Amino acid sequence: MFSDILFLSASTLIIASCVLMMWTKNLMHSCIYLLGVLIGVAGLYLTLGADFVAATQVMVYVGGVVILMLFAIMLTGGKDYQSKTQKILGLLPLMGSKYTFMWGTATAMVFGFCQIYFFRHLFTALEVQETTSNQYAPTVEKLGELLITDHVVAFEISSVLLLGALVGAAIIARPRKDRPAFLEPVDHHHDEHGEDHH
Amino acid sequence: MITLKAYLFISLVLFVTGLVIMLSRKNIVAILLGIELILNAAALNFVAYSKYTAANLDGHIFALFIIVIAAAEAAVGLAIVIRFFQVKESVHIDEASDLREELTR
Amino acid sequence: MENTIAGYFLSFEPLQYLVQNSSAFLGFDTTALIGFMIFFIFGVVFLGFLATVGGFGTFAERKISADLQARIGPNRVGPYGAFQLIADGIKMISKEDIMPRSADKFLYYLAPFLSLFGVVCTIAVIPFSGNFIMADLNVGVFYALAISSIVGVGIFLGGYASNSKWSLLGGMRGAAQIISYEIPVTLCIMMIVVLAGGISFGKIIDQQAGMPWNWYIFHNPFTFIGFFIFFISNLAETNRAPFDLPEAESELVSGYHTEYTGIRFGLFALAEYIEIFVVNGIAVSLFLGGYHLPFDFLEGTIPGNLLQFGTFFIKTCVLYYIVIWIRWTFPRLRVDHLMSLCWKYLTPIAIFNLVGVAIWMVAFDGHSMFDLLFSGSSHSGGGH
Repeated sequence: MFSDILFLSASTLIIASCVLMMWTKNLMHSCIYLLGVLIGVAGLYLTLGADFVAATQVMVYVGGVVILMLFAIMLTGGKDYQSKTQKILGLLPLMGSKYTFMWGTATAMVFGFCQIYFFRHLFTALEVQETTSNQYAPTVEKLGELLITDHVVAFEISSVLLLGALVGAAIIARPRKDRPAFLEPVDHHHDEHGEDHH
Repeated sequence: MITLKAYLFISLVLFVTGLVIMLSRKNIVAILLGIELILNAAALNFVAYSKYTAANLDGHIFALFIIVIAAAEAAVGLAIVIRFFQVKESVHIDEASDLREELTR
Repeated sequence: MENTIAGYFLSFEPLQYLVQNSSAFLGFDTTALIGFMIFFIFGVVFLGFLATVGGFGTFAERKISADLQARIGPNRVGPYGAFQLIADGIKMISKEDIMPRSADKFLYYLAPFLSLFGVVCTIAVIPFSGNFIMADLNVGVFYALAISSIVGVGIFLGGYASNSKWSLLGGMRGAAQIISYEIPVTLCIMMIVVLAGGISFGKIIDQQAGMPWNWYIFHNPFTFIGFFIFFISNLAETNRAPFDLPEAESELVSGYHTEYTGIRFGLFALAEYIEIFVVNGIAVSLFLGGYHLPFDFLEGTIPGNLLQFGTFFIKTCVLYYIVIWIRWTFPRLRVDHLMSLCWKYLTPIAIFNLVGVAIWMVAFDGHSMFDLLFSGSSHSGGGH
C-alpha cells in the first residue's frame, strides 16, 4: 500500500513537473522543474526496489548535473529564443508555422496508424510475462558483485570515460590566452537574438 | 498493485516531454535538459523491466551506466556551451553553423 | 526492520495488544498502519529535536564565541541567556518579509525550503541509538550524502534569485565549494565502507562496538588521517569558517542570504546549524563508534537506548564545539586557496588513504592496529 502511495505521488510529481517544464518560458524555472522530475524518478526507483540506483540518481543528478545546468544557464543568460505568438497554437511549443504544425500532425498520425497496422503482430508477440518475485531484497551487495564480475569491462570503460570527460570539460571550458582575432567577440547587442530572427 | 504498464506510461511521458523540449527550444542548454529527460526515461524502462520480467539485476546495472553517461555528457556538453557562448555571445542553436558551406548569418 | 524505531516499539506488549484488538475490530492487519503511526510520531519528535538543536546552535555559537573572546555574551533572557533563541525566533517571525523588486519570485521563495528540505531528509537514517533509527536503509550513508546535496541547489538558487551581486557571488561560491568538497567526503566514506563491508549505518556502527580502540578512527593510520580530512571537508560542505566564503561578511555583505529577511533568513540559518549537527553525527557514526558504550548496559531497553542516545549526543556535541571553536579562531581562506586545498591536497590524500586501507585489509586480514600490537586479545572491527 505504501509503495502504491509512493508511486502515485512520484508519478504526479513527474507529470506535473514535465508539463510545467514544457510550459514555462523561463529556463531557470525549467531547470528547477527538471529537479522535480529527477526526484520523482528516484521515488519510482524506490517503488521498484532499486534503492542503490535511486540514491545514485539523487547523488549524481541533484548534486552534480542540476547544479551544472543552473551554472550554465546563469553564465549564458538563460534566454528563451522561442518565438511567442498570442494565438491558441502559440501556447503550444511551436516548430514552425500553423500550417507546418497541422501538416506534421496529420502526417504523423497517418504514419503512426500504418506502422501500428503493419506491426500489430509484433506487439502481441512481444507481450512480456510479468514476474514479481523477490521484490525488495537488498541490491547493494549484488550490484557490487555484478559490477566487478560480469560487467567489469563496462565498469572500467566507464571510469575511463569519466576521466576523459573530466579532462575534456576542463580543457574546453578553460579561458584561452592565445585566442585568434576572428574569434574575438564583436561588440554585442544583447537584444539581438531576443526574437527568432529567421 | 502497480503493473509494468504504469511505469512504461511514466517513461513515455518523460520521453515525449524530452523530445518536445529538444525540438521546440532554441537554447542549447534547454536541449541538454531535454536529453536528460530522455536518458531518464530509458533508465526507468530498464529498471522497470528488470523488476517485472527478469530475476536478475542487469537492468539496475544499465541504469547506473546511463546515469554515468548522463553525467559525462552534461559535463562535456555544458563546457562546450560555455565555450560557444564565449565565442559567439549567444547560445542559439542556429548560431552553430560555422562548418556549413555558406554562412547564413 | 527489527532494529528500526517502528519495529522496536511494535515489539512491546501494549502495542501488540493494540494491534491485535484493532485488527480484530477493523477487519484487516493493522501492523503496518500502527507502525507507520509510530514512525510518523517519532519523525515529528526527531524533527522537533533537531530544530531545537539548530536553535541552540545559534545560542551556543554566541556563548562560546563570547567565551573565547573573554566576553559574556547573551545573558539577559532567561538563566545565562538560554532563552535567547526564543527571543530570536519571535523577532525573526515578526520581521517584515522583504523581497527585492527585481528578484525571481518563485526561486526566491523556493530556495530556503530546498535548503532545509535537504537537511531534514537526512534525519531518516541518522542512528541516534541502537533502536532509535527511523530507517536503517541498505544505502544509509550514501542516502545521507545524496540527499544533503540538495542544500547546494538551495544555496545557489538563493544567491541567483536575489538578483544582487553579493548574493550571486556567494551562491556561485557556495555551489562550487559544495560540489568540490563532496569528493574528499565521498572518498573518506568509501574508506570506511571498505573496512565495514557495507554501507548501512547499522552495519558500520556494530563493528565499532566496545572500547574506544575499536573505533574506526584508530583502526589504522589511514583512517586516522581520513577522519581529519572528513572533518575538514565537512566544515567546507556546511559553509563554516574557515571555509565560510559563500557568506563571507567582510567581502560579500552576507553572501547568498544578503537579501533575505525574517523567517526566510531564519530557515537558511536553521538549515546551516542543523546540517552541522547532522554531518557531525555522521562523522561520529563512521569514525568515533557511534552510539556504542564500552559496555553492554541495559541493551535493547528504553533506558539503555536513552543512554546510547546520550552517548551519541555528547560525542556529536564535542565535535560541534570544535566546529565553533575553529570558526572563532582561524582566519578565512581565500577562494582560490579553498579550491587548491580541495583539489591539490585533500583529494589526493583521500585517494591515497583509500588505496592504503584496501592494501591494509588485504595485508593484515582486516585486523586493526591494536589487534596486531596486542596479538588479538580483543576481536575488534573489520573482517567481513
